Amino acid sequence: MNPQAIIDGLVAGSMIGLGAIGVTLTYSILRFANFAHGEFVTGGAYLTLVLLTALSAVLGTAPLSPFSVSLALVLAFGGALVLTGGVALTLDAILFRPLRRRGGTIIIIVIASFGASLALRSLIEFVFTATPQYFSRELQIAAPIGGGMRATPDQLLVLAITALLVAAVHLLLTRTDAGRAMRAVAENPALARISGIDVEGVVRLTFMIGGALACAAGVAAGLLVQIRPTMGFDLLLPLFAAAILGGIGSVPGAVLGGLLVGLCEALAAQTVGAEWRAAVSFAVLVAVLALRPRGLFGRR
Amino acid sequence: METATLTPTPTLSVRALVAAYEPGLPIVRGVDLSVSSGEIVTVLGPNGAGKSTFVKALAGLVPIEGGTVNFCGDDITTIPAHRRVGAGLAFVPQTENIFATLTIAENLKIAATALPHRERKAAIEEVMARFPDLGGRPTETAGRLSGGQRQMLAVGRALITRPRVLMLDEPSAGLSPKLVGEVFARLKEIAADGVAVLLVEQNVRAALEVADRAVVLAEGVVRRDMDAKALAQSDDLGALFLGAAPEAA
Repeated sequence: MNPQAIIDGLVAGSMIGLGAIGVTLTYSILRFANFAHGEFVTGGAYLTLVLLTALSAVLGTAPLSPFSVSLALVLAFGGALVLTGGVALTLDAILFRPLRRRGGTIIIIVIASFGASLALRSLIEFVFTATPQYFSRELQIAAPIGGGMRATPDQLLVLAITALLVAAVHLLLTRTDAGRAMRAVAENPALARISGIDVEGVVRLTFMIGGALACAAGVAAGLLVQIRPTMGFDLLLPLFAAAILGGIGSVPGAVLGGLLVGLCEALAAQTVGAEWRAAVSFAVLVAVLALRPRGLFGRR
Repeated sequence: METATLTPTPTLSVRALVAAYEPGLPIVRGVDLSVSSGEIVTVLGPNGAGKSTFVKALAGLVPIEGGTVNFCGDDITTIPAHRRVGAGLAFVPQTENIFATLTIAENLKIAATALPHRERKAAIEEVMARFPDLGGRPTETAGRLSGGQRQMLAVGRALITRPRVLMLDEPSAGLSPKLVGEVFARLKEIAADGVAVLLVEQNVRAALEVADRAVVLAEGVVRRDMDAKALAQSDDLGALFLGAAPEAA
C-alpha cells in the first residue's frame, strides 16, 4: 500500500466529517435525514465564491503564502459561514417548521427535504451554470511530510481547520448552556421542554451550526478540488455513511466516521481503481447497518 | 360531589379542563381542581382514568382543548411548556424523567437555565444539599443511578427552579417500600417550604397518608374531591377504583 493513501484519505475524510456533523446533529435532534444538507455544502461554497469575488475587488487576490488562500477568501469564508447558517435556518422556517407544526410524519419531512435538495441544486446550477469554478488558480506543490507521504499546504490547512472546528463544536456541546440544551433535546425532547428549554430555539441553533459546518466542508472541497453545483449531492452518501458509522448524535463519531470513510475511499482508489470510490460509502453504510446499527459511539 | 374546604387563593386553579392527544378525543373531560401553597393534593383513580394526561396537560405536554389553567393569578392555559417552568410550575414525569446520557451536574445545570444566571449556582448547591446522594458525585452519568437515586435527581431537577407548584406523576413507581417512604418524606418537606404539590399516584394508601386532599378521577372526570384522611377511611374507596362507585352528590 502506498502511504500517500493515508493523507489523501484524511483530507477527504475531514471534508466528509465536517459535513457529517450537521447530518448527525439534525438527525439526532429532529429525527430525520435531511437530504438538503448536501445543498448547504454546495451553497456554502458558492456563497463564499460570491463574497470572494466582491472582496477581491477591494482586497486583491494575493495569496497568504504558502497557501493559495487570499485574505479576501478568509473573510469571504467567515461571511459565508454565517450566511449558510442563515440559509439553513430559512429553509427550516419556510419548509420544515410548518410541517412539524402540522404534525407531519418523518417520511413527509424526509421527502420534503429531498424536494428542497432538488430545487436548491437546480437553482444553484441555474444561477452559476454547471461549469466548475475555483477559489484560486494558484499552483500548489505537495511537499514531503514524512512517512513517504506528501501534502500541499492547502491540504494541511484543511486538516487544521477541521480540527479547530470540531474542537469548537465539542466545546460548545459540552461546556455551554446551548450545547447542553442540544444534547438534552436529542435525548428527550419532552423532558427538555419541561426542563425549561425552548426546543424550537434549539432546532434553529442546530440548523445554523449544521449549515455553517456544511459551508466549511464545501469551502474545503472547493479549495482542494473544484466548485460544482453537484458537489454537495456527490458528498451526500459519504456524509450519511460517516454519520451512521460514527453513531447518530455523536460529533466525535461523525468526524471519526468521516475520516474512516475517506481512508476507505482512498484505499479503494489505490487498490481497485478510482471508479469504485463512490461504492465505498455504500459498502460502509450497508456493513454498519448490518453489523453495528448504532455505529461506533451511538446510543443503544 | 363531596368538596373539601379550599384555601381562599389557590396557587394553581384548574377549571373545566379538557385535554386530548388527538383532536376531538378527550381523555380529560372537564376537570376542576385547585392546589394551594404548602398543600399536597393527590390525584387518584383506576388505570385509564386520565390522571397522567391531566398533569401532562398542566405541564404543557398534552394539548388543552377547553377550560382554563390559572397559576398565581395568571392564565397559563396556552403558554408553551418551557415558559411554564420559568413561571414556577415544575413537573416530574413517571418515566424517562432524567437525561440518562448526561451527568448529574449537567441534569441540574440544564434545569437551572430557567433561572437568572446569578441564581443558578446557589440553586444547584441547594438541591445538592437537599439530596446528599447526588451532591457527592456530580460527574457521574445519570443513567448509572439506581431507581431511587434517579427519582431523587428527577425531583431535584424540578426543584432547581424553586417552583411554586410541583407536579409528580407516580414517583413511587418501581421503588421499594422503603424508598417510597423516603420520596414521600421529601415531598412533605418540600410542601412544608410552601410549595404546592400535586401528586398523581397508583399507590393509594401511601398517597393518602402523605396528602392533605385527594381528588379521584375516573373516565376523565372528577368523582371525589375531599380530605385525604377521610377518603382513606371511606367505605367506597375500593369501589371508586373499580369504577362501581356512584357519582358523588
